[in-house]
Amino acid sequence: MSNITFNPDNITISVPKGTTILEAARQAGLSVESPCNGAGVCGKCRIERKNISDIEALLIKKSAFTEEHGEDDTYILACTACIEEDVLVELTANKESDLKILSKGRTFELDIDPAVKKVYSKDEDTTKVFYDGKEIATEPGNTEGENFGLVIDIGTTTMVASLVNLSSGEEVVSESVLNPQAVHAQDVVSRITMAAEEAGMNILYTEVVAEFNTLIDNVATKAGVDSRKIYEIILSGNTCMIHLATNVNPKSLGEYPYDPAIRGGSNEPAARHGLHLSPEATVYLPPIISSYVGPDITSGVLATQIHKRKDRSLLVDIGTNGEMVISKNGILSATSTAAGPAFEGMNIEFGMRAARGAIELFEIEDDETITVKTIGDAPAVGICGSGLMDIVGELVYHKVITKSGKFAKPEKANLPDFLARRLEERNGKTVFMLSEGVYLTQKDVRQVQLAKGAVRAGIEFLMKSVDLTAEEVDEVMIAGSFGYHLRAKSLINIGLLPKEFADKVDFVGNTSKTGGQAFLLNPLYRREMEELVKKIQVVELSNYDNFDEVFVQCLNF
Amino acid sequence: MAKTKEEYLEELSNAVVEMEEDDAAEIAREYIDEGHDAYEGISYGLVDGMNKAGELFEEEEYFIPELLACSDAMNRGIEVLSPHIERQEIKDEKIIVIGVVQGDTHDIGKNLVALLEEVAGYKIVDLGKDVPPRAFVDKAEEVGADIIALSTLMTTTMPRMKEVIDILKEDNIRDKYKVIIGGAPVSPKFADDIGADGYSANANGAVRLVQELLG
Repeated sequence: MSNITFNPDNITISVPKGTTILEAARQAGLSVESPCNGAGVCGKCRIERKNISDIEALLIKKSAFTEEHGEDDTYILACTACIEEDVLVELTANKESDLKILSKGRTFELDIDPAVKKVYSKDEDTTKVFYDGKEIATEPGNTEGENFGLVIDIGTTTMVASLVNLSSGEEVVSESVLNPQAVHAQDVVSRITMAAEEAGMNILYTEVVAEFNTLIDNVATKAGVDSRKIYEIILSGNTCMIHLATNVNPKSLGEYPYDPAIRGGSNEPAARHGLHLSPEATVYLPPIISSYVGPDITSGVLATQIHKRKDRSLLVDIGTNGEMVISKNGILSATSTAAGPAFEGMNIEFGMRAARGAIELFEIEDDETITVKTIGDAPAVGICGSGLMDIVGELVYHKVITKSGKFAKPEKANLPDFLARRLEERNGKTVFMLSEGVYLTQKDVRQVQLAKGAVRAGIEFLMKSVDLTAEEVDEVMIAGSFGYHLRAKSLINIGLLPKEFADKVDFVGNTSKTGGQAFLLNPLYRREMEELVKKIQVVELSNYDNFDEVFVQCLNF
Repeated sequence: MAKTKEEYLEELSNAVVEMEEDDAAEIAREYIDEGHDAYEGISYGLVDGMNKAGELFEEEEYFIPELLACSDAMNRGIEVLSPHIERQEIKDEKIIVIGVVQGDTHDIGKNLVALLEEVAGYKIVDLGKDVPPRAFVDKAEEVGADIIALSTLMTTTMPRMKEVIDILKEDNIRDKYKVIIGGAPVSPKFADDIGADGYSANANGAVRLVQELLG
């Protein structure tokens, strides 16, 4: 056994020789970003060598990351550094500040008739609480005015909670946090892998439930509401997150034919998960469409009423998984496509989440000025998803990036000088300088091509499944917290959306949350969606022989 | 003035690198009409161009669409030249059994590797996607393979790679084959951990890896 001490928390634990720093940090209850779950691929768990007391105490294994980026004498990766002797490690702050998460979203005129009703009896001076007409509790005094419900939208990266007054239908308060699971494993597939082991599943489940309780306590305090007066909670989110949040192993989602273990459209007691709500509270899970088209899209369908529309419209949630549904006069078809984490800033040289200092907007003006806007107007330190699409979109439009995705040769492409001079050499490769010390690499462009190619190919197959062309689509709704920061012109410039969609794009915001609120406010919507999902055609892209071909065509700009 | 054979070979190579399908076919026809050897036209002309395309891919000059367009150009040239090759049994042909492991259906990367390995002169037995571990071993035994190449895009199906190696060990035939792995979630460390013989991060590297392993 060897001892490892983590500062600044000054926590020492004893671990068997050969344990990685990452594993030890987790055992010590400390958070080290490890989106690839310790596979040695993403490089985000790097620790500077100067923050390690004795580098000789570690056995450092090779990794895909160092293989690709070359050995570096300034840092090591926590996931490939095995502890051989006692060592002290300084973990630098890993806090997300000024994180920008969207919580607004489109909704429709709701018919408010919640499952939870309260009736005050003057004679007994008590208030009876009913759920679906059944008495579930009796409270002293008149508490008719205290009837609340909660929606939690569980994203792979972020979570949003919304406290709703069930009598008025109004949102009282809303709050966003990062999904604590993202520290261990960034994307859905690595989370399924982590959950394959009982210990991993336990961590993912208990941490997300603990975060639910923190959220519940926070919104209740903020609103001045007693959290025991919350009687119902809707869990919306992607299929995998719903599995993990309800302690169901998502193993089957990770292997062909990718079937979910639960189908949603069901109730369970909140007490089962130890939530800080009324002891009698109910959890409702909206129906799941398929493994990779989750309740967040069911909520999105409900919120946008796409199933009732007498036109042709498309709803796309752009994220690590691009989930989408198309409606042709109310006939629905849905699919999902693995865009990968590029849009979340992963696999991108200067990629980062939407936090302080991230470039979120980039524009090349006709008068040769270049606008670079960062979150919090701080000096640029990286690029977040919306910034990345803006940058690549603008560079494609101004021909700094060619149709095939290559940086142009300045002399050949006849680039104006103010753009040409930003093409510089770094490590023998051409990069585009965005700001002091922050640049876009050729490989970053390739990552964007892969991500947007996947989403675009999904859109193409979805349109084909209902026999529609891009011209025939009347409205394109972009959903998701991520979706809101984006600009339609960038999405079209990079070819994530067909150019025929110009002027038809609307950003509808977090419809997973607004749809969840609708579920909360009237159980009739639940029955409606439980029936509807059975009729939604699910398009499984990997079953199409020509998917490769279409995907490859979609890679070019 | 007639071109020399070397000039033709260079033009064939360039046509592939430049993705000019019609040129590749046209130059191949002239080359044959001039009485040059078809086999050399393929290996020193067309395949040389494809190797250069592979290098450009690795250097991030070319991307997947270009690589496939180069391959199309090469195939147009091969169509013209191959009927003129004097057929002879190629002795000691090395065989690669390749596939995407069970539970995974993502095969674009695997297809690129198969394409480049084939260009490099190996015989490819492609088992496709969602392939059970046992099927790799059975097929390798059946065709007398030299290499078993395993691919996956998902971390969830990485354990299937180890299962293939475990079956080889159980059957006491581990030493008969070199097992190589690749795919986005896989790393050199993982290759070490499961006892694979090699790992490559991309398709062109996989060709070099096989060349090194087979000496």
